[in-house]
Amino acid sequence: MSLVHDQSYRRYTGARRPIGRAWIVILRTTLGALFARRPLIGLLLLSWVPFLVRTVQIYVVESYPQAVEVLAVSPRTFRDFIDFQGLFAFFVTIYAGSGLIAGDRRVNALQIYLSKPLLRTEYIAGKLGALMVCLALVTLVPAVMLLIMQVLMAGNLALHRAAPGLLPAVLLASMLRIVVPAMVMVALSSLSTSSRYVAVMYAGLLFVSEALYGVVARATGSTRVAWLSLPRNLDVVTDAIFRLPSQHDAPVVLSALVLIAFVVASIVVLERRVRGVEVVA
Amino acid sequence: MEQATPRPGAGPAGTGVLAASMRVFDLSLGRMLWSRRTIFTALVAGLPVVVALVLRTLLAFEVPVMQGGVTGPVVFGLMFWGFVVRFAIPVLAVFYGTALIADEVEDRTITYLFTRPIPRASVVLGKYLAYLVCATSVLLPAVVLTWLLLAPIDGALAASFPDLGVDLVIVVVGFVAYGALFAAVGTIFDRPLLFGLLFVFGWENLALALPGQLRRASVAHYLQGLVPHAMPADTPLDVLQRAMTGAPGVLECALGLGLVTVVGLLIAARVVSNREYVLEH
Amino acid sequence: MTPVISAAHVSKWYGQVIGLNDVSVTVQPGITGLLGPNGAGKSTFMKLVTGQLQPDKGSLRIFGEPVWRNPGIYHRIGFCPEQDAFYERMTGREWVTALARLGGMDERRARDAAAEAIARVDLEEVADRRIGGYSKGMRQRIKLAQAIVHDPELLILDEPLSGMDPLGRRRAIRMIREWGRQGRSILVSSHILHEIESMTANVLLISSGRILAEGDVHRIRDLIDEHPHTVYIRAADPRGLGREFLAHPGVISLRFEPNALVVETAAPDAFYERLTELAASGACGPIEELTSPDDNLQAVFKYLVRS
Repeated sequence: MSLVHDQSYRRYTGARRPIGRAWIVILRTTLGALFARRPLIGLLLLSWVPFLVRTVQIYVVESYPQAVEVLAVSPRTFRDFIDFQGLFAFFVTIYAGSGLIAGDRRVNALQIYLSKPLLRTEYIAGKLGALMVCLALVTLVPAVMLLIMQVLMAGNLALHRAAPGLLPAVLLASMLRIVVPAMVMVALSSLSTSSRYVAVMYAGLLFVSEALYGVVARATGSTRVAWLSLPRNLDVVTDAIFRLPSQHDAPVVLSALVLIAFVVASIVVLERRVRGVEVVA
Repeated sequence: MEQATPRPGAGPAGTGVLAASMRVFDLSLGRMLWSRRTIFTALVAGLPVVVALVLRTLLAFEVPVMQGGVTGPVVFGLMFWGFVVRFAIPVLAVFYGTALIADEVEDRTITYLFTRPIPRASVVLGKYLAYLVCATSVLLPAVVLTWLLLAPIDGALAASFPDLGVDLVIVVVGFVAYGALFAAVGTIFDRPLLFGLLFVFGWENLALALPGQLRRASVAHYLQGLVPHAMPADTPLDVLQRAMTGAPGVLECALGLGLVTVVGLLIAARVVSNREYVLEH
Repeated sequence: MTPVISAAHVSKWYGQVIGLNDVSVTVQPGITGLLGPNGAGKSTFMKLVTGQLQPDKGSLRIFGEPVWRNPGIYHRIGFCPEQDAFYERMTGREWVTALARLGGMDERRARDAAAEAIARVDLEEVADRRIGGYSKGMRQRIKLAQAIVHDPELLILDEPLSGMDPLGRRRAIRMIREWGRQGRSILVSSHILHEIESMTANVLLISSGRILAEGDVHRIRDLIDEHPHTVYIRAADPRGLGREFLAHPGVISLRFEPNALVVETAAPDAFYERLTELAASGACGPIEELTSPDDNLQAVFKYLVRS
């Protein structure tokens, strides 16, 4: 061996992550960037206030049986809790999601990402995963924690024996409120280079459909048209998951189909928009 | 001290705010009108027209969509209050108003405007005027079309024509007040859209629902006082609210909206005049 | 004569980062190059000079007037910013005309002025195309057009040559020199030394938010006495020349290159005198090329930054 070491460029000879797992890198860096924003941390912390309130409710019910009359804990408690978390989910979706792909498109980072051994699906999965993690922190995690608190404070599984589908319902309903908004937002984020426009598009989609539903429902005197509104569709399907009577007359299948249509449309948009090279006509 | 002397052909050293605003207006109107934002505006404004068309089509086929003695003018009133006043006007105002300066900063084109011999306040005012023309020119025809489609259903055009005139004034006044408010929000906050949406869909709903004087801190309260149609009141809470609050008088509405407009524009102009814009590279 | 730009103890902070540190400088009429590496504070200085930023400390005047919150001064200033940002959907002509209108011109005068400015930057052929479809060089030139459209007395050009191809650079440099000859004062920034050298010998050297030196580059060079001066001589007999200079007291080092001799001297005047004698006598054969790699901004800059 020579005493003078080779100073020339040496290629990397270490192990490489196999193709198909690079999405973890995207997920990790995106989450790192998101959690560096203090307002998002504040929003995530604030979203746990309802959890604390519900925990107090469970404590009161378990400690003072006479409170059951007013504060009874039932599957509807968890359904309403998930519904309320939708408010925080909306703001988290807008704050964390609007710039996910739009930011990369703005600085032409997509072509850099996609010139690496990274599949388009991996890139999308990483971005989607980051938003889903944020949304899980305001929906799925507090909902499951609430279930655990109920079991711990009650000291028995009576509620679960009375409603055996409660745990799967909480998981499924939470996932529904994570997957649909996340898919829609990530797709919208790929449509623009401005995170502000993306945020407006998302808010517009929700509120336009809701306002439209409100007007049509009042004109027709029926809630069968709840499928017009994205939030109402989530309500209808969530009610069905919890096997609770729905507040709307819309057919569950129709609402589920509308939600599926949103997800499919999002996939189509992402397939068309997430490309390394954009051809401008 | 040596004074700035204009070169031949150039304007006077101290171009007035109004004259300069008109020049900014000329520059901005075309850009605003023929932008993708107008597509979004047209989509929002076109929704009531589409709903009205669907209703007319269903009625033509004698489908009983309007039940319980609901007439065309009533549906138009519902749409005007529920969709136009409470949704379209504030959302479009948030969309345009918060972007007046933010768009130029984001696109890094603000430099070209701020290194011209015009007061910075005129940039805000000129762009605000362009927004007013742009937003009203899209929404006003949509309101008229909706009225033409709905008012003749079990009603007479002539009878509801005076109300239409008031409605059109409300659209303009709503854009004026909300636009000025969100112009100020757009110049103060780094993420004005979130604040705008929180104000419209959070604060305004809350303020209108609470008893007391809080509602006076909302724009919707004053617009509501001008609306000639009966407000939808299909829940006990609505009825209770209406009984407790009462609509403000026209003079109070005009004063409230005028104050919001003047204060909003003054704040926006002052902030822009004093703020340093460090553009990202 | 009132200086074009006068800065007195100007400092600017971005939070805890200092952008410009106690800068006092005056810029006289003519072309002045603002030279410094990336992050030196050039853009901060440009933004302060154009009134986009306000000094945190000190005062800054253009033609004797304050520039912050003084829009009237922009009649006399034309600014070509660094950023590649435009109203992409407008045509070049529409854009320059609109900006001329903001300068206070009426519609007809603005159209004429825009046409004139566009002609000056050789963009007539594409003036009616959307800016979004322009090449990088065209975009730079249309930016220059909007800066000169109102015939300003002072042109402030922030990295005007960046992104241009060599041909475009040459053309732009020629334009800037021509504008200078027409009596405009020009402050032009760059981090590329030979660009500035090709436009002017009058420079402001900036680094780490401080002005290191100002004035004629050759005079600045002369002031740095203790800095060794390097001379490259391509000659028929470089070793013969080397023998001659070995005895010269000012010579610090000698290095031979193929057909050339590189001399490092601490006494350039005496050295050049001796070299002229040798060339005239023909003692060491003909001298084919004589260059001084040190007599340029690169050397001056390197020296100042190092010290």
